Amino acid sequence: MDTSRSYLEPSSFSKKMAAAIIIVYAVITLIPISWMVMTSFKNVDSAISYPPEVLFEPSLEGYVNLFTNRSRQSQEYLDSLPPPENWYEELVRSREMVITGPSKFLGRYSNSMIIGFGSTFASVFLGALAAYAFSRFRVPLKDDLLFFILSTRMFPPIAVAVPIFIMYRKLGLGDTHLGMIILYTVVNLSLAVWLLKGFMDEIPKEYEEAAMIDGYSRLQAFFKVVLPQAMTGIAATAIFCMIFSWNEYAFAVLLTQFNAQTAPPFIPTIIGEGGLDWPAIGAGTTLFLLPVMIFTIILRKHLLRGITFGAVRK
Amino acid sequence: MAKVELKKLFKTYNKKIKALEDINLTIEDGQFFVLLGPSGAGKTTTLRCIAGLEKIDSGDVLFNDENITHDQPASRDVSFVFQQYSLYPHYTVYENLAFPLRSPMRKLPDEEIKNKVEKIAEMLKITNKLKNKATELSGGEMQRVAIGRALVREPNIYLMDEPLSSLDAKLRETLRVELKNIQLNLNATILYVTHDQAEATTLADKIGVLKEGKIVQIGTPEEIYENPNSIYVSQRLGSPKINILPGSLFKLDNNIPKIGLRPENIELGDGPYEGKIISIENLGSETVVAINFQDNEILASIQGSYKSSINEKINFDINTNKVLKFDNGDQRIHER
Repeated sequence: MDTSRSYLEPSSFSKKMAAAIIIVYAVITLIPISWMVMTSFKNVDSAISYPPEVLFEPSLEGYVNLFTNRSRQSQEYLDSLPPPENWYEELVRSREMVITGPSKFLGRYSNSMIIGFGSTFASVFLGALAAYAFSRFRVPLKDDLLFFILSTRMFPPIAVAVPIFIMYRKLGLGDTHLGMIILYTVVNLSLAVWLLKGFMDEIPKEYEEAAMIDGYSRLQAFFKVVLPQAMTGIAATAIFCMIFSWNEYAFAVLLTQFNAQTAPPFIPTIIGEGGLDWPAIGAGTTLFLLPVMIFTIILRKHLLRGITFGAVRK
Repeated sequence: MAKVELKKLFKTYNKKIKALEDINLTIEDGQFFVLLGPSGAGKTTTLRCIAGLEKIDSGDVLFNDENITHDQPASRDVSFVFQQYSLYPHYTVYENLAFPLRSPMRKLPDEEIKNKVEKIAEMLKITNKLKNKATELSGGEMQRVAIGRALVREPNIYLMDEPLSSLDAKLRETLRVELKNIQLNLNATILYVTHDQAEATTLADKIGVLKEGKIVQIGTPEEIYENPNSIYVSQRLGSPKINILPGSLFKLDNNIPKIGLRPENIELGDGPYEGKIISIENLGSETVVAINFQDNEILASIQGSYKSSINEKINFDINTNKVLKFDNGDQRIHER
């Protein structure tokens, strides 16, 4: 019998089992995503072919279609044009079409960026201030207030869609970036306050006290000492807020049409000839996935707990 | 450095728990003042009230005769060494030490900060750790940095809350000596909180003994040791602890309810009293012998080692001049 390992360490069999389960889980969750990425590199025909093609000739048609508006032209007209200037024009002409201009995708995408990051920043910033106050000060009716804040998440946000729709129309906030940032911030704020309060509670108050004695005001101590140590919590909260506001669909459909429309309601409306343009939709969703993925990877190292803990003896 | 005075300080927590009651004390400029008392006596609360971290119910805090009772902690210009290390973990050792000097209250030029930090690092022997993250230090190093962060500037008063209690015995001794030297060199005003009597006696110019939020005696270490005004105070200093015995035990004076007898004032081997040895504890330079005398346990300490065995009979004598007499309320009876 192998006696060299500690009793606390899992056996090699359970380690292998754990690895196997994780791999199976990863494969299951990654199939739809990889299928989506594959679709984005197919052409229109192979995207809908049956049986589905796993091996195919990659094409950038989906991405070209995503970023351009095109119109079908007769062969005679195409022949009369000067030779195509670049690869994507050539690609479009091989489908007997010409590019008539850029599509709305880039605009919708940057709307998503502005609203997503804007509301994430606002939620985390306001959430951190509120969480700090709840964590450190004797707030009258503290528990009731915290419960009230949490209660705003006890119904699905869309349940209040109609009042918000009417309110936004009266206030002129409909279809504006500011309106969407405010809306997503309101929805995310309760989560941010509760998550961050937990993290703030864990930061010993000795740090701020030390900073205040060292000649800083409470607000300065908050920014210099508390916030850097709450980075773990801030990163986690920011990711949750970002994912919500980035993916939000229902309010975006309801409240935005032109000016502030985000990518989620836009992508499914990419309609090709005689059916949905699946490669373009695949391309749109693939690109849509990237910011959240990159954002999470950047903040990942802050999610590893324990890097800032240990300098205060408990 | 400043003279610090507390006048009629009262403090309660949550409007119920009395933390401090009528604290009056004066710490002279350049004095090393030690507050001694068991946990819960109000030592830390006193420090926090001086620092401005706690609002006091009533009373005044004066720095150099100036009333600063309602000033913010930052503007009081005091420095504080916490019982916990409380280094800023996201900073390096250098940044930790420079932190108070970079505050909006001071904003010293970088060159001056560098000089001061390097000087203090040298004094505390942490120069080679300046670039380390605060989390990459051993416990002793962390506490030295915490002390350094307090010493890097010259505030009105240094407040130290059991700064050495978390360290191992050897380091504690080294730092204790260093701290005293630093205080003498800087002529610093220090208010130091401890429940360790060795720290109190070696460091203090003056000791204040706290009991349940009240100051029960203030005096030099010698006065507190030789001349305590109550049983409580007499038990604060001295190791092994003072023997508190019925007053009638040695037939000194039948009107005295209780007497206090320090272990070193008992002579073993000869004398009118006969007891039985309960235990012998050899501590190297001294030996503590516990004696059963008429059903009272008496500790005696003698120089060097002691050759005898448990349950043996032993004769002893006491130094009657050194006997402390107490009344029924445990207060000292002073001879006229």
